[in-house]
Amino acid sequence: MLENRKLEILTLIGLFTFVVLFLVISGQAGHEFSGSDDVGSEKIAELTGKPVESFTPLIPQYKPPSGEIEATLFALQAAFGGIVVGLVIGYWLGQKKRTATT
Amino acid sequence: MHIMEGFLPWQWCALWWIIAIPFLIVGVIELKSLLRKDREYLPLLGVCGAFIFILSALKLPSVTGSCSHPTGTGLSVMCFKPYITAVIGFIVLLFQALLLAHGGLSTLGANMVSMAIGGPLAGYAVYKLLKNTRVNIFVTVFCVAAVADIVTYIITSFELALAYPAAVGGIMASFSAFFVIFAVTQIPLSIIEGLVLTLVFKYIVQLKPDLIEKLDVFSKKQIESALGTMTGVPEEKV
Repeated sequence: MLENRKLEILTLIGLFTFVVLFLVISGQAGHEFSGSDDVGSEKIAELTGKPVESFTPLIPQYKPPSGEIEATLFALQAAFGGIVVGLVIGYWLGQKKRTATT
Repeated sequence: MHIMEGFLPWQWCALWWIIAIPFLIVGVIELKSLLRKDREYLPLLGVCGAFIFILSALKLPSVTGSCSHPTGTGLSVMCFKPYITAVIGFIVLLFQALLLAHGGLSTLGANMVSMAIGGPLAGYAVYKLLKNTRVNIFVTVFCVAAVADIVTYIITSFELALAYPAAVGGIMASFSAFFVIFAVTQIPLSIIEGLVLTLVFKYIVQLKPDLIEKLDVFSKKQIESALGTMTGVPEEKV
């Protein structure tokens, strides 16, 4: 039983360690957990000596008006992926069952 | 790993686009011929693409105190080779550039070179290296996924360093600065991504070993021995 669940257990341990690490680190001061994309942009501003605001899009782009909308769009992106994965795995399971019974 | 719209001078945008476009064209051609050959691959293609969608939407906190997201390209590059992966990556990046203001159209070329091309290529190299050795296929999958993830961020650092060399120390100094921001943050995330994708791969192999075999991801013997050791059946001696 335990033998064929090795990978699952390993993954759970990995995720658990990750969560604990996060809890420990977020308890310390000085971590904002902003996106590394934004930190990168700030670094560019620092290196060029120009403020972040002076970097204007070369091609005009849509910006989600608030964090809420952005979260919705990200959730939709993940949900779309989740639906496809569930659909296909279910399809394969059904296929396997059918060939097993006939 | 997204380079934000406007944060890359147009010359660099153009250069990365020029590098990315051939991959995209070959990818579309390969994709078309693959699907013409056999519709059976479509579900697997869907799963590989879907995982890139899911994982790149998850922005996870890291030990450095900032957040970043995994890439999920390892699975696709093993099953469908780098060119098709470039096409899937392009679709995800386009979605994020158009709707989420994560990256932009001008920097899409650069972001493709890191996430959809460079990272997967590095993962593919690892796959080629380990494929025909005695290494367990799940260990191989883990390495491929983790390497594809971390290299993506190393390339982003490199792209930014080329465009913005530091006044003191030049490209190398600014590379190490970006490396700390992007790649170091990414180390724990790539380990998690490796584990998760390996688990997913295990389920795919259990359900559809024939597909993996037909695409020549791994040989029949490798799959059987890996599944055998997992279910506790002793490995066949050859």
